[in-house]
Amino acid sequence: MISIDLNLVWTIINLVVLYLLLRHFLIGPVMNIMDQRKQMIEDGFKNAQAAQDDANRLKQEYETALSGAKQESVQLIEDARKNAKAEYDRIVNEAGEKADTMLESAKENVRAEREQTMKELKSQIAGLAAASAAKVIGRNADEKESRDLYDQFLKEAGEGDDDADR
Amino acid sequence: MEELNCETVFTLPVVGGISESVVVTWIIMAVLVLLSIILTRNLRVENPGKIQLALEAGISWAQDFFEGVIGKESRRYSPYLITVLLYLAAANTLAPLCGFKPPTKDLNVTAALAIMSMCLIEFSGIRKNGVVHWMKHFAQPIPVVAPITVLEIVIRPLSLCMRLFGNMLAGFVVLELLKFFVPLIVPIPVSFYFDIFDGLLQAYVFVFLTALFMTEEME
Repeated sequence: MISIDLNLVWTIINLVVLYLLLRHFLIGPVMNIMDQRKQMIEDGFKNAQAAQDDANRLKQEYETALSGAKQESVQLIEDARKNAKAEYDRIVNEAGEKADTMLESAKENVRAEREQTMKELKSQIAGLAAASAAKVIGRNADEKESRDLYDQFLKEAGEGDDDADR
Repeated sequence: MEELNCETVFTLPVVGGISESVVVTWIIMAVLVLLSIILTRNLRVENPGKIQLALEAGISWAQDFFEGVIGKESRRYSPYLITVLLYLAAANTLAPLCGFKPPTKDLNVTAALAIMSMCLIEFSGIRKNGVVHWMKHFAQPIPVVAPITVLEIVIRPLSLCMRLFGNMLAGFVVLELLKFFVPLIVPIPVSFYFDIFDGLLQAYVFVFLTALFMTEEME
């Protein structure tokens, strides 16, 4: 019952063989699979992290671009407004100037016409006055004397006329 | 009394008698290897089946257990310890349940296991710390204890060997006596205790102590 013999050696050989076989057929494959899975999970985590980083980076870029675009649009609107204001001012000024010119020329015309009319009137009045004076005097006095008289009359009348014109 | 003897099953011309325990060990080896091949046939990384999950759970439990005892850097020893654990569990429980005599009842088998444990313990210590440190550590903490620490090389595997052998033999003897006196029903729970519970416990204790001694040696 209690005896050590050669079977001890056989058992040791058996154990070594069993160890090699089990390591090859059981522990090796199972550990391999578990390592692979672990590796896969780690890779998955790494990929997810990378994807998230990418997404964050893109988002940052978009936000920067978006804020840039907003600023640009504000600038554009500002420019457009400025341009429109300048154009408006220019047009209004032009119109004002044109209106002024037109008013001026119209006034000028009116004055010229009135002067023309006045001159005609003067000569007619002078004629009339001469005729009426001749009739009143009843005779054709000295030519020179009568002319002086007209002029004097006209001057007086002209001064009165000028006063009325103002 | 003839039940206690390890009979010689057959005799080979050159190597001599092959005992019962060696033959049962062969059977256990064949079963374990066949089971391994069958169970690891369709291993997949993704969507593992239930069998594969159970297998992985068992292996990783054992792996974690041994790593917890001997440390992560010594994980290369754990396949051997897992092998011994599986062999002892099969030898202590399956063999008697299937009608064989447990091979661990034979002193040759437990002695063989203990000798291999001894080699492993000393080898792990030498590999980790070198021969010089291994020679010096016998004189720790004081040189007076050197004879005792040298004796420890033999005492540790001897205790492993005798603990396993004694437990299995005693369980076997108790069970045989019980079967002789009360052959009906009563041996069933007793067999559960001695064969399954005690068998698994002794397998656990054997590999746990081996791992523990290795850790001690690697300090």
